[in-house]
Amino acid sequence: MSFVEALRLALRRLGTNPLRTALTTLGVVIGVASLVALIGVGEGTQTAITNQIAGLGTNLLSVNAGSSVVGGVRGAAGSASTLTTADAAAIATLPGVAAVAPEMAVSNVVVVNGRTNSTTSLTGTTPSEASVRNYQIQTGTYLTDLSVTKGLRVAVLGPTTVTDLNATPTSIIGQTITVNGIPFSVIGVTQPKGGSGFTNPDDVVFAPISAVQSRLTGASTLRTIGVSLQDPSQLAYVESEITSLLRYRHNLASSASDDFTMVSQDQLLSVASTTTATIRNFLIGIAAIALVVGGIGIANTMLVSVRERVREIGTRKAIGARRRDITRQFLVEAVIVTLGGAVVGVLLGIAVTGLVGSAVNVPASPTLSGIALAFVSALLVGVVAGYWPARQASRLDPVEALRYE
Amino acid sequence: MADQTVVPEPPLIEGRGITRLYSMGDSQVAALRGVDFAIRMGENVAIIGPSGSGKSTLLHILGLLDRPTTGTYLFAGVDTDTLDDDRLALLRNRAIGFIFQSFNLVSGESALENVAAPLVYAGVKRKERLERAEESLARVGLSDRAHHDPSQLSGGQRQRVAIARALVTRPAVILADEPTGNLDSRSSADVFSLLQELQAEGLTLVTITHDQRIADRAVRVLRVEDGILVEHGAPAPTYLDGAELQGPTTAPGTPPTGVVVPAQSGLASLGLTREDEQ
Repeated sequence: MSFVEALRLALRRLGTNPLRTALTTLGVVIGVASLVALIGVGEGTQTAITNQIAGLGTNLLSVNAGSSVVGGVRGAAGSASTLTTADAAAIATLPGVAAVAPEMAVSNVVVVNGRTNSTTSLTGTTPSEASVRNYQIQTGTYLTDLSVTKGLRVAVLGPTTVTDLNATPTSIIGQTITVNGIPFSVIGVTQPKGGSGFTNPDDVVFAPISAVQSRLTGASTLRTIGVSLQDPSQLAYVESEITSLLRYRHNLASSASDDFTMVSQDQLLSVASTTTATIRNFLIGIAAIALVVGGIGIANTMLVSVRERVREIGTRKAIGARRRDITRQFLVEAVIVTLGGAVVGVLLGIAVTGLVGSAVNVPASPTLSGIALAFVSALLVGVVAGYWPARQASRLDPVEALRYE
Repeated sequence: MADQTVVPEPPLIEGRGITRLYSMGDSQVAALRGVDFAIRMGENVAIIGPSGSGKSTLLHILGLLDRPTTGTYLFAGVDTDTLDDDRLALLRNRAIGFIFQSFNLVSGESALENVAAPLVYAGVKRKERLERAEESLARVGLSDRAHHDPSQLSGGQRQRVAIARALVTRPAVILADEPTGNLDSRSSADVFSLLQELQAEGLTLVTITHDQRIADRAVRVLRVEDGILVEHGAPAPTYLDGAELQGPTTAPGTPPTGVVVPAQSGLASLGLTREDEQ
């Protein structure tokens, strides 16, 4: 029997019981749709996170205070305060360094605007923060050199903070807010960067480092020094330069470990993409399981179908069907059910990708590779699921089959 | 056929010492216990016998659906023991037409598709297949039912579709297993006369039957009892029931007389090639 004949036969057969065909197909539809959608959403999420990290500043190197190894346990970065504004100034003189922003961070500050208050984090810094961390100004101005040297109580707010304070970027300019009880006047609002969670770059207050030091912390140590590079290819060189410089400045013995750590934006990116890839692969694994379950459904239906058609198989053998003809007939049937499911699944998956993407605000779009992967997997599942029942059918003894009631 | 007078035609079907044993748990049951027979081209043979006598087993072996446990079965002079399953399938497809008591049409497929089904396995192109199926349906007088599902047909019509299917490959022999067993008397008469017409046109017809008319019309009756062929002569005109039968006209185990088996014979004489074979 030619392939075309097997196809014709299978289509006629599947058409005689459309409900069963549809239900059998459903498993594959769901499996393929989940694969397509999860791959699409996964890729979209990864792109979004990558863009978000890139938006935090390009060619960026963060020098974090601390990270002393105590009893084999590495303390969290920034847990020991060893960096100073003098360190930052020294780093700024190194070749290959474009700008340096000392960052004195105060977390969980209470900001009050009139009768509205909000808890956020505050960064005491210098004007170069804007270029190092890639902040754009929406209204007003950013911190100025003057405000730093004079230690003025001025503040630049992130757009989320403004909203939390029940104000608008234009109305808040010139207003006086209090930060942990100390009054600051608002001079600017940054452009939204997009983002969420506890590291939201839009939920932030910037103030001159001198003012923060004298009014809020009283200490002179920094949590972080942001360093932007002139050329990203010089990253390794600048890293080693900063290491030598700080070790020298901190009087570290050659046997002592660094009392600071450095993270480049590239490293952050790769960590983030590794993490999102892990999550994505996990989700794809779940979708693959759905597809396998769909395959089991097909195998089951095919076994039932073989059982129901024992006499037909006997008859076909009597009129001249060889084993391979019977195998082909049932295998083609299983593969057609799978392929039909795969086509519907791909379409459904594309629709779901769009829906999920807009629901969680991620630029998700179905990828060609995802669709191809889902399709090929489905085909494989169909062949595997159909093979066993088809073989069962082909091996029936014709005499027994013809006698079967 | 011109050399028929020179070289004796081999029997189409010949069995020598055929046994068929079935394992039933630890014990073995003999369905056939040493059967010899020969059927020539164009013969009209009825196989009769009480149920459980082994006549169905015999028909399955004749139809190459089953193999004898011991003994030799020659089809068109070829020892079928030397043929693999694919060759047997090919022979069933080309040389044998089956008619079953329960019709065995495939529902969900039209009468025409059912009739054309053997040609699918013969690798005949669709257009020719449908033409030949239409001819075959016309031969059994069911052209107007070509596109009906078997479930829309009466029993007699279904059996006629099955006959059309058996005829479509122009086989050398038709093997019919109780062809009128599931039919009312009118349909029975239809099917019966159709089979007789076909036989008269030169087809070899082997029928398992309880139908007295078929047995009466058969040129030869093979009577099976308890796995042994107890008769292979002409039917007794007054045959009514197994109990009233006379003794065997030929002693069991004796080869039928007048059988000449040529040393050289082959499936090629039946034109047995599959069109889709590599």
